[in-house]
Amino acid sequence: MDKSNPIQWSLAAHCNGWHAISGTMESILSLSDVTYRHQVRDTSTWKPWVKRDGAGIHSIDLEINKGVILGLIGPNGAGKTTLLRVISGIFTHDGNIDKSIETRRSNIGHMPEQVRWEGRSTVAETLTAMSLMHGSEVDVDKLLKRVGLSSRSDLILDNLSQGMRQRLSLACALLGKPRILVMDEPLNGLDPLAQRAFCNLLKQLASKGVAIIISSHQVAEMADLVDRIALLHHGQLLIEGTINSVKDALGLDADDVDLVDMICAATGIDPDDVSMDLSEDSMLPFKRLEVEEE
Amino acid sequence: MSQLFDLSKAIMQERIRAGRMMVIWPLLAMFILFSTWGLSDPKANLPSGLVIDSAYDVMYASTAFIIFSATMGAVLVSFDGISRDRISGVLEVKLSQPINRKILARSMVIGHWAAIAIPVIVLNVLSLFIIWYRMNSFPDLDELFIHFLANCLLLLWYTSIQLLASSWARDMGSSMAVGLGTWMIFTLLWLVLTTLVAGLMGIEIADLTSPEYLRIEAIVDLFSPNGVYHHMLEWPLAESGRHVHPGMTSLAAIIWSLLPVYLFTSRMDKLTP
Repeated sequence: MDKSNPIQWSLAAHCNGWHAISGTMESILSLSDVTYRHQVRDTSTWKPWVKRDGAGIHSIDLEINKGVILGLIGPNGAGKTTLLRVISGIFTHDGNIDKSIETRRSNIGHMPEQVRWEGRSTVAETLTAMSLMHGSEVDVDKLLKRVGLSSRSDLILDNLSQGMRQRLSLACALLGKPRILVMDEPLNGLDPLAQRAFCNLLKQLASKGVAIIISSHQVAEMADLVDRIALLHHGQLLIEGTINSVKDALGLDADDVDLVDMICAATGIDPDDVSMDLSEDSMLPFKRLEVEEE
Repeated sequence: MSQLFDLSKAIMQERIRAGRMMVIWPLLAMFILFSTWGLSDPKANLPSGLVIDSAYDVMYASTAFIIFSATMGAVLVSFDGISRDRISGVLEVKLSQPINRKILARSMVIGHWAAIAIPVIVLNVLSLFIIWYRMNSFPDLDELFIHFLANCLLLLWYTSIQLLASSWARDMGSSMAVGLGTWMIFTLLWLVLTTLVAGLMGIEIADLTSPEYLRIEAIVDLFSPNGVYHHMLEWPLAESGRHVHPGMTSLAAIIWSLLPVYLFTSRMDKLTP
């Protein structure tokens, strides 16, 4: 399937029972040759200030479209969180992104993985303080109601459960009506009911034109939620497209193929021989589908 | 401007309600109020032939206790200003917000500073009433102004140094170590450094009251926040014996006020979670 054809893509998504996108896909963020390397302590020297390039992401090209839910998948250390932080304007990067860092910070709601909110401030006070950082007029009560925390607005942060903390992180991400939502493992810590409600909320936001980029290891929920997936491995973007197009590209024909099979097919890991071992090479060498192996 | 002050207020409120204030408040109260009570006793027999015969003399002498307690309070309030947020993941949420990082940094400095300055100011005001009760006199307005200004600046210097350390450290232990280390150098070890410098310059260090030693001590003190603090407090005193030009002290105070804040602000610009 030609993924650049929006009508064909939309129909395919609808037929597969996923969240259907109407109209054309309007790009709201474009990444081209984006690279970021973490600076890590060089243990080969006794000088504590000496740093060297560590893992990161390399030469990422990605188009974020309005109203589309994009799932980032890949093994641990693939670069998903780094990519999300680059998109949100937290890391300064090499390469091109068509929106400035200031514009991205204004228009992107970022929800990091497992924020441990703590202290004696209440939920409402914390959200108010965050809205001051956002610099926009925010109806805190309305936002708390939206994420299901209105009955807990006077609770102090130390007394929140992990699920409530996730909801507060979501509320912070929704400050200022973002055009793009970037979420790192948002389903962690949520009970199954809350996960369902969370996914429904994301679909609702997407239907209103909010682009959502989500990284999650909750494979089953991801498959039901996302419109497109991007497979990352060793800091490289291996493939991006609808689940069907990715399956086709990976030569996976069976209907019961899930995201794990896709990760294995794309990364060369044998699905029958999956182990706990982490890959020793953090970035290179890498291979890209449809491109010569480097 | 409104964003800066609103955010500073929110940070100050969050810090002032923190559990650690349950320790800091009594500590400050004991050091500031009890020292004022003791020093304002007309029958008090003070060491080193120290003579206290005015309200400002009591306030000046009590700053030796403020140096220990208030600066430690500033360290305790600010040591996890950045590092706790970094560990909990809150820093990532903050850094993804569109606020100008310089404004965020300045509001953090003001918020943390206010959280320790307010208790110190309140207790200093209470200590004025103790002095009035015990000695039946108040300091002059200019003496009061210098005392409060010096206290506020001293806390600003320690707060900004500690926040800078907190932004460097990857964990709260390292941040605490840097903060306490800095506090110990300026509060406890500065005399050793001063005598070392004097010794290297060939000045007799057996007599720490000699004019040559006092001159060197006065200059070396300009490089320490505690030293500049005491230089400022000596302005209203008729005889301090250290003869540092007020311009030099003012310049040092300005540098101590601007440099750590500038370094912290620059650091915030490129801070990562």
